[in-house]
Amino acid sequence: MSAERGAWRVELLLMAMLSFAGQPLAAQRTGVIAIRGGTVLTIAGPAIRGGTVLIRGGKIAAVGVNVPIPNDATVVDASGKYVMPGLIDAMSYFGIDAQDLAESSEPITPELRIIDAYDPTGQGFASGAGPLRANELLIGGVTAQYVGPGDATIVSGQGAIVKTAGRSLADLVVKEPAGMDLSVGAGPTKTFRAKNRTPNTHPAVMSLLRQSLIKAQEYDRAWQAYRGSDSTRGRTAAPKREPGMDALVKMLHRQMPARVQANTVTDIRGAMRLADEFGFDLIINGGAQAYQMKDELAAKRIPVVLGPISHPFISGEEIPDLKEYPAPDERNAGWLRQAGVSIAIASYSHGLGGLAQPITAKWLLIDAALAEGYGLSEDDILRALTLSPAQILGVADRLGSLEVGKDADVIVLDGPPLKMKTWVERVYVSGELVYDRSNAAAVLAGEQRRVP
Amino acid sequence: MAIRRVLVALGICGLALGPATRAGAQASSGSKAPVIIALRGATVHTAAGAAIRNGVVIIRDGKIADVGAAITIPADARVIDVSGKEIIPGMIDNHSHIGASPEDLNESAVSFGPQHRMVDALNPDDRGWKPAANAGVTTVVTGTGSGEVSSGEAAVVKTYGADFQKRIIKEVGGLKIAMGRKRPDRPPSTSPAVTAGLRAMFIHAREYMDAQSRWESGGRQGPAPTRDLGMETVARVLRHEDYVRAHVHAASDIMALLKLKDEFGFDLALHHATEAYKVADEIARRHVDVVGMPLFVRIGMKEDIMRSPYTLWKAGVTYAFHTDDPVVQSKWFRYCGAMAIRYGLPDEEALKGLTINAAKIARVADRVGSIERGKDADLVVLDGPWFEPKTRVDLVYVDGAVAYDRAKEER
Repeated sequence: MSAERGAWRVELLLMAMLSFAGQPLAAQRTGVIAIRGGTVLTIAGPAIRGGTVLIRGGKIAAVGVNVPIPNDATVVDASGKYVMPGLIDAMSYFGIDAQDLAESSEPITPELRIIDAYDPTGQGFASGAGPLRANELLIGGVTAQYVGPGDATIVSGQGAIVKTAGRSLADLVVKEPAGMDLSVGAGPTKTFRAKNRTPNTHPAVMSLLRQSLIKAQEYDRAWQAYRGSDSTRGRTAAPKREPGMDALVKMLHRQMPARVQANTVTDIRGAMRLADEFGFDLIINGGAQAYQMKDELAAKRIPVVLGPISHPFISGEEIPDLKEYPAPDERNAGWLRQAGVSIAIASYSHGLGGLAQPITAKWLLIDAALAEGYGLSEDDILRALTLSPAQILGVADRLGSLEVGKDADVIVLDGPPLKMKTWVERVYVSGELVYDRSNAAAVLAGEQRRVP
Repeated sequence: MAIRRVLVALGICGLALGPATRAGAQASSGSKAPVIIALRGATVHTAAGAAIRNGVVIIRDGKIADVGAAITIPADARVIDVSGKEIIPGMIDNHSHIGASPEDLNESAVSFGPQHRMVDALNPDDRGWKPAANAGVTTVVTGTGSGEVSSGEAAVVKTYGADFQKRIIKEVGGLKIAMGRKRPDRPPSTSPAVTAGLRAMFIHAREYMDAQSRWESGGRQGPAPTRDLGMETVARVLRHEDYVRAHVHAASDIMALLKLKDEFGFDLALHHATEAYKVADEIARRHVDVVGMPLFVRIGMKEDIMRSPYTLWKAGVTYAFHTDDPVVQSKWFRYCGAMAIRYGLPDEEALKGLTINAAKIARVADRVGSIERGKDADLVVLDGPWFEPKTRVDLVYVDGAVAYDRAKEER
């Protein structure tokens, strides 16, 4: 099938090159907006029927049924609609060129920062002046995402939490670095087996990782000794600075979590052993078999950023050979919640032109909605796309729910969020209307170009 | 939610004395007594007309004996109460690669292999069948890959059944060709060269047919022309006994293919057909079918491509969906159709794209694809509207036999 795959890639790259031609929408950045009359799913509490969400200065100023609407407010009638926080995709590669996800010169590269490769439009950065909008994500109501450097190596680098619309790259960034991305699964073994280099096996992966963390501890101690040494009595020479070690030290000091891609029980256990040994905040990425250890994960409060419900195995391979994995069970998410494990459902998307990716990020909501048939409640599904990822990512003070003081990242849907025919109609990011389906229709219909 | 099975024969459920119960017992022990099943109370979407509320489907010996709202249930029928459920025809995935080892999909050493047959690679124990059947995909058109310009004939196979040979509806049906660029190390590798290679293939087949008919009309004088399996396959296509299923993405390749069709007059279905929406009228005018996007959320596709089923349907094209399994797993097949509903395709047209249209394109609509009298009893019982994300498949019947029962398999 490799040739077919190749042909696919060519065609889809062509498709990706056809520009989206985003239509500018009126900037309403700092104004006062009252979204009135809808069913408000705050996520932080029970649904509010006929509620109002008041936005001021990019923040949520009020939420409730009897919210006074200021005279200067732009009133948006949301009667019959649903209003909820923008979705947070807790793991995505959208905006990262595929080639930039495969830095495989070395198995351990903690110094890499994905923000250095991030294209906020997902369309190629040459989009000129103007607001930066990931239109493909806004269609699906995604207002923030964690982007990371991939799973092809053991330590692939530092990820970032970014919004999907903003005026500049700096404006988009919510947190950077926001996590250290690691993989103890099939990613590194496949990568280096193909290069005929170590690590080829899981034990080799784990020992290399353990050795690097020991090195980071020693590096940390050397710097602490240096800083603590008395400069008046002949200070020793400063240790050599190593940005990668600095980053791992931050992880070991719990200043950023380790996001370890681990789908199988073997890999999840391996990650947990390391977290116990070295003491860092662990987030399991993928976790396709996490249900088999749900009680341990719950007891240790280790959250899981699940892969998509429809395609839980999230290997960086273009078309993962599913036969290599145990059969997935779509009840995974529901079982984890029942046990009290904190979960996010993420896309692991590669964006437009991404071939046979786990899922396309703009369909995150529809994919997650599948879980309702497999024992995850509607509330838990919505939470796994909003407040729960905000908590897991450590940004719940700003994102994830409709609460006073949080960023006004708000979406308006034309029906219940988990129904197939429901569309996201409006998206506000930081209080600015950045997507309006009724205005965008002409653009979204696409170019009907004729081929002679 | 468990399906309640109610044995109503003579109203004496537990006592195995009634004639109907005896008949059932005999049937299961191999006698010729008919096995009659009545599914009662569901909304039946037949794919052959309006939905039937509170409908009844009668299955008799693996075939659909009757379907409707006001139907008398035979006294000897085993009645299954599916009140509140929805029934759709067993779905047909018109482009899949399940049933065979991936190594058997592309004969990479050659560019042309019309004589190759997917049926020769099919493995009854392949791990792909069961998940497909569980999801209500009861028939697949499973075929060879797109590495070659022509990779051979697909097979039309059911996903469930004890006797593998009986599961095969068509051993040979649909000649796969693949437009567009190929591997660079071996000609033809560019799009024009691939198209030229196909033109040559059809010309050679015509010459082959001419030589054959000259020999026939000449009273079979002299030695018979040498048989060539590949040319025989292409000749069947040119005689409309078979059709071409073409892997194609770019609009330019679609147009090149339509010109080949104009020149040689074969029947054609475009597969994947990513940019078909750009030339919808050209496709419709030639009565060419499309087995196309979307592939349920795994391929990053722009909005115009997502909308293409609607665009093509509006143009009058017969449209069917596919998984291209392993690209999308068979179990998510119905959501390929559901996504098209989001972009304007009416519910019932989307269902046709998962059922009867796929059957027509695969030329097996006499047996499968809709819930109509005389067709194979391939049925899917769901606990809600087929297109909703939360809806689950409860029961699947293939040839009247239970292929999947969620209450038993998922505890």
